[in-house]
Amino acid sequence: MLDAIDKELLKAVADLESLPKGAYNIRRNGKLLGREISANILIETNREGNGIIITIKPSTKGESIHIPVIVSQAGLHDVVYNTFIIGEDSDVTIVAGCGIHCGSSESQGHEGIHEFRIGKNAVMKYVEKHVALGEGKGRRILNPTTRVFLEDNARAEMELSQIGGVDSANRLNEAELGPSSSLIITERVLTDGNQTAVSRNEIILIGHGSKTNLVSRSVIKGDSSQNFYATLEARAKCFGHIECDAIIMDNGRNETIPSLKAFHPDAELTHEASIGKIATDQLVKLMSLGLTYEEAVNWIIKGFLS
Amino acid sequence: MLELKNIIFYAKDTETKEGDGNRRAIIDNISFTFEKGRFYAITGPNGSGKTTLAKLIMGINKVDEGKVLLNGQDITDIPITDRAKAGVAYSFQNPARFKGITCRDLISIAAKTNEELKIREIITRVGICSMDFLDKQVDSRLSGGEIKKIELATTIAQNPLLAIYDEPDTGIDLWTIEPMVRLLKREQSQHGTTTIVVSHNRHFLEAADVLIIIKEGRLYYTGDLNGATPILNDLSNCNYSDICEGEYNARCYR
Repeated sequence: MLDAIDKELLKAVADLESLPKGAYNIRRNGKLLGREISANILIETNREGNGIIITIKPSTKGESIHIPVIVSQAGLHDVVYNTFIIGEDSDVTIVAGCGIHCGSSESQGHEGIHEFRIGKNAVMKYVEKHVALGEGKGRRILNPTTRVFLEDNARAEMELSQIGGVDSANRLNEAELGPSSSLIITERVLTDGNQTAVSRNEIILIGHGSKTNLVSRSVIKGDSSQNFYATLEARAKCFGHIECDAIIMDNGRNETIPSLKAFHPDAELTHEASIGKIATDQLVKLMSLGLTYEEAVNWIIKGFLS
Repeated sequence: MLELKNIIFYAKDTETKEGDGNRRAIIDNISFTFEKGRFYAITGPNGSGKTTLAKLIMGINKVDEGKVLLNGQDITDIPITDRAKAGVAYSFQNPARFKGITCRDLISIAAKTNEELKIREIITRVGICSMDFLDKQVDSRLSGGEIKKIELATTIAQNPLLAIYDEPDTGIDLWTIEPMVRLLKREQSQHGTTTIVVSHNRHFLEAADVLIIIKEGRLYYTGDLNGATPILNDLSNCNYSDICEGEYNARCYR
């Protein structure tokens, strides 16, 4: 049964008002809360008992899988290892994410280590939201890891967001791209107060004709800090781009280091990075439309993180 | 409708300390009354203070001396937001670009409505933007011409009493300038919008009821195009004639 806190967290991380339709696996406080499989999507607990294996049959089209995690138990630090095997020619959406509800002074955390093996010609959209709620003073810690392996002509689009409430986050995204495959990662992070967030990204373009675009949008408020590190390594004729923008407000701090490594003469790698306050011309434009300064700031931040 | 009373705006040069007697006035004691529902074109040489004057009216820059009155109300010290709410709208020469904000968002803010029908009505009214502009992000991927059209749409969407357009033709193709002039004239006639256009473009100057020529921060001429033409021809020859005083063979390569 879902209680009120569970429902609030599910709504926040997966836009779910109740149990989802289709395949799902909901983990609450380190234990299975509910699971549903479909004719094409198998979900089973791994041999070690510390995660799940999701197997999607080849040519599965238009199905979605929800795998939210809820952590509401004081002092719990949940670690889970999930493996996704996406069959050839399939086209699926995976909605993941973790919601922490902290009601005490003890810290709570979650580490989700997700490995994706995406078969030939398969398309995967992965949406992951991290949210922390509650009135407790304990630290809320989220350390996600994603490892993506794309076979020939496979495509993956990953939207990773952490909008508020998380005190400490240490993210690692790794990917290896096969021939003609493509990977788009969009990461959105907002920190405030004394929160810290670090994102490390290592993408290796192995296959001929592979492509990647890594976009990072950071908003750093209060005394918080965010560091973003991204490396694209090209080992074939390929295309890669990094776009990382950070808006600093108050006393926010940011370190952004994009890195490009070309080990093939036909590699094409680019990056653009910017760190700064909200541009004055943006504020003035919105204020000239009748918004107050605060309303203009909110619009700009909302758009930037959308 | 809009009254400027002896307004002065000084350059904020870091090398020039205020009060040392060396302040340079970019706008130097301008007084003028803009009448309701008329179309004004402000023109003049580069660097003469045209855009600065427009920004002073919008409140983007604050006047150092003098008064700005809107329908008799002193708005000299009120901020941009309140001037916008009072019915003043401004179209920027170099519009801001936003990541994640769409044309629809800007029009919705400007028109204070989320209703799809009303937003589409505005696009239709503006005429120079197609409907597929609505979902475009107002970011660096837009061309100079596209973003200027959106800028114009957001100004008109406010239904302003006073609309200020700073160089609206910048980046616009030749085929769009005349429709743009017709649009501003239509807004003037159908909605009684007092219109101020900062421009060098002949089409806007011809469309204006009153031309204002600014030179070195001062009003140099106000009146119709016939009276302005000889001055404009003279100014277009050389902006630096005062320096060389027309000396023959002054090695001027301008």
